[in-house]
Amino acid sequence: MTDGTNAGAAAPNADTHLEAPSAPLERFVRLCVPLTGFSAFDLHGTGMAPLYLDTTRRELGEGHLENFLSRWEQAQAEGKGPAELPPTEREIARALVYLWYTGAWPRIAPAVHAELRRDRPNGESMASATSYPEGLVWRAFGGHPGGAKPPGFGTWSYPPPTLPTEAEIAESITQSAATATRPYDPTAYGALANLLDEESVPPHLLPGACVTRSVPPSAVPCAAPPPETGSGSPAKDVSER
Amino acid sequence: MTVNTTGSAVDGRHFDVIIVGSGWAGSLLARHLGRQNWRVLVLEAGNGGTDTWEGFQDTVRTFSAAVVKASNAAYRTSAAAPFPDVLDLRSTGPSSYTTSGHFEQTGPFPYAGDYLRALGGTGMHWFGAVPRMFPEDFATRTNFGYGADWPVTAMDLERHVREAELLIGTAGDGAEQHRLGVVADPEYQYPMEEIPPSYLDARFHRLLDGRSVTDKIAESAYTLQVYGLPQARNSTPNPAWDDGSGNPYRPRGAVGMPNFGERCVGNASCTPICPVQAKSHPLRLQQDFTDSVRLATRCVVSRVLPGRGGTVRGVEFREYGDPATPSSRPYTVEADIVVLAAHSIENAVLLLASGMANSSGNVGRHLMDHPTLLAWAEMPANDPVGAFRGPGHTSGLECFRTGQGRRKRAPFRIEISNWGWGWSTGAPLSSVARMLGLGGDANGEVRHGGYFGPKLRRDLGQQVNRQIQLQIAMEQHAERNNRVTIDPARYRDGMGNPRPIIHYDLDHRVKDGLYAAREVSKAIFKLLNATDHTNLGVQDDGSHPLGYFTHTPGGDLPPQDLGYRGPGHAAGTHIMGTRKSTSVVDADQRTHDHPNLYAVGCGSMPSIGTSNPTLTMAALALRSAERIHRDLAELHQPVTVATSHLAGKRAAE
Ligand SMILES: Cc1cc2nc3c(=O)[nH]c(=O)nc-3n(C[C@H](O)[C@H](O)[C@H](O)COP(=O)(O)OP(=O)(O)OC[C@H]3O[C@@H](n4cnc5c(N)ncnc54)[C@H](O)[C@@H]3O)c2cc1C
Ligand code: SF4
Repeated sequence: MTDGTNAGAAAPNADTHLEAPSAPLERFVRLCVPLTGFSAFDLHGTGMAPLYLDTTRRELGEGHLENFLSRWEQAQAEGKGPAELPPTEREIARALVYLWYTGAWPRIAPAVHAELRRDRPNGESMASATSYPEGLVWRAFGGHPGGAKPPGFGTWSYPPPTLPTEAEIAESITQSAATATRPYDPTAYGALANLLDEESVPPHLLPGACVTRSVPPSAVPCAAPPPETGSGSPAKDVSER
Repeated sequence: MTVNTTGSAVDGRHFDVIIVGSGWAGSLLARHLGRQNWRVLVLEAGNGGTDTWEGFQDTVRTFSAAVVKASNAAYRTSAAAPFPDVLDLRSTGPSSYTTSGHFEQTGPFPYAGDYLRALGGTGMHWFGAVPRMFPEDFATRTNFGYGADWPVTAMDLERHVREAELLIGTAGDGAEQHRLGVVADPEYQYPMEEIPPSYLDARFHRLLDGRSVTDKIAESAYTLQVYGLPQARNSTPNPAWDDGSGNPYRPRGAVGMPNFGERCVGNASCTPICPVQAKSHPLRLQQDFTDSVRLATRCVVSRVLPGRGGTVRGVEFREYGDPATPSSRPYTVEADIVVLAAHSIENAVLLLASGMANSSGNVGRHLMDHPTLLAWAEMPANDPVGAFRGPGHTSGLECFRTGQGRRKRAPFRIEISNWGWGWSTGAPLSSVARMLGLGGDANGEVRHGGYFGPKLRRDLGQQVNRQIQLQIAMEQHAERNNRVTIDPARYRDGMGNPRPIIHYDLDHRVKDGLYAAREVSKAIFKLLNATDHTNLGVQDDGSHPLGYFTHTPGGDLPPQDLGYRGPGHAAGTHIMGTRKSTSVVDADQRTHDHPNLYAVGCGSMPSIGTSNPTLTMAALALRSAERIHRDLAELHQPVTVATSHLAGKRAAE
């Protein structure tokens, strides 16, 4: 691992391998659980938690990170879901999920990039060479990262594994988060109230064509423009700037 | 380690053969000629290192760290021996583009493929599809009235194709390939059993075999049938394979790590890199080099040196120490025979820079690729297929490749992608970004909506497992104006060597083929009950995909958005033929103009059909190796005469 272990260095037993996670790390991971839909056990299991805390700190700056974490903590205490965060916090939450799912820090909304006065270019970068194979996206569809953790000869001939249902996922993360203040409500996680039973993801949430190979994954266009505000707009999207 | 000499060590020396380039072509030739005890020097422009286990692991790490996992993602850029990258191209509007990097491009459309200058060449990042060409592909002019005919037939090449299949290490189903019509012998056995088809292939079999699709451009109905793809990938050794030695076939694994990589384990990253080296690459052949083969890396050939009476004397090259800087020293080395195996585009550059082999004016002309239309769709919720598993594609639909339809439009091969919407949309990573609503809207403001947590994980997983994609590769035939040129006064690389200037275009046959392919993809998606998500036109952010255009083949067919990607099957820059006035090399890849100068590789191919070109190119290389052996034997005849003279004397006594 590269510079990623710095976060651990703040902990008292920095040089022992099986040290308990530091309090800031525990908090970071706990707050990432409902964002990602993966349990604290899964998140720690990637081995990337200290690196990602460090990456986020570097990308946002200590102050903005702390702001985000405490606002998200407070929102949860008020029984709110990530989709109900104000725009800036919502974008940061998305960046964090992207980091956990792909191992890379993404290009974020330029408005937020400007607002945070970040001192780095707004581009996509891999957190480290070891983070890519630990991306959660592969696990989300029951696969394995391209170029790592190969499943074995001929495995591709079998049907894909059955994935856990949304309710099962919700259950597994509330157990581990132990902070649930209200039962799982999909609309607080972005589900459109009028599309709750749809089998398909609406096109504005799917990727369009990667117009040239140099476009990083986080900057690929959407397959369709977002629905007109009104009928199809997110149910609880109240706090636009 | 196969790198066993340096540029300075061979300076001023004489070899039997100099081979420029250590890709598939150069490695096959060097292996063959070395076994016949010829003193061979291989000069490789790129960096080495991957011929050790540690060195190879380093490239795997480079791949992992790359944000965009394009075909060259595992290799560091080089200032001394630069190479093109698909990341060099940018779309700047409908049908306009810019390029940076190794290529200059002047055509209306970009040549959108790349190659690699490193030990093993482009064969390090190739995908490893090795379908044979159809017999009819070798004579499109005679059979269908377009393109250029070969001076040889499929039958002429058969023996060398078999040898190439063995040396490259091919897994396939001989009987099935016979039914397809590319293998003459019904009993033919590949060294390894076919790579297991994917679950997706099985669904396609079930839903498509025997169904009919009408191609309005070809004015003909086609019956669909899914066929397995022969691949240069380690599979189960075929017990029925027999080379007469009584020994079973043993898959070749990783270099520097015995017994590793003897099966494809489904890493699903064959291009850019197979981490276990189950996908074949030229370093395997280099391990077989005899002691009479010397190989030096970091030696960039700049010029072929003229000799007496139309012959060539050797080459001039520059050796560098650090790929990051072009500082280098010049050397020369001589040989009886010089073979350019530097990739079709670099072969053209070398011939042009040397002012050689160009009495026909055809050096650099007839550049071809397989312009590839991508079409993507979503399987029904109750029929997930599980994307991003196994080798990139294991089966295809072959019926549009042959027959009279070729008179109306370019023929095409449909690859069934096992990697979801990866090539077309950047999935699954882009799927994550889009489903989150990340990155802002057209005004840079935070987007509404987007999923998190359980909703995200579930819907993402579900959606990705329903992604399917067709990669439909057109035959592009030889056209004079699709060409590589140089302009040393204006475009040189850091070392001072001329950079390729490429003029590339698509003619109406290819455009009609792309149109037909798009129509066929729609029909196939219908039969699969899949929802078409293909958008080759303007995107939601106003951008247009590289290679975009609208086209109608005429009649009452409405214009539609089309586009293509470049798989990098560069061919045709020094095509072979019987006539000196219209071709650059003969059927043995010897240049018409210089009896001891050969140009080998896909550049010699007058047409490439709808087959990935390397297998056929490898067969040509083996054919040339035999010819070069004969040439050398003849050149060294005094020895033979002396021996037979002695033998005669002895007999008389
Ligand atoms: C992404 C991708 C995927 C592909 N997949 C397939 C596939 O599945 N099936 C298939 O059949 N084909 C495929 N191809 C095409 C295939 O890779 C090429 O046809 C093949 O590798 C060409 O081999 P070659 O030896 O002629 O050239 P290369 O492999 O390019 O080797 C040329 C060598 O010469 C060296 N060289 C160049 N210039 C100089 C110089 N001036 N001095 C000294 N050395 C020099 C280079 O460094 C290189 O090592 C693919 C191509 C790409 C780009
Ligand atoms: S699927 Fe994986 S193991 Fe098999 S060849 Fe491709 S990269 Fe190698």
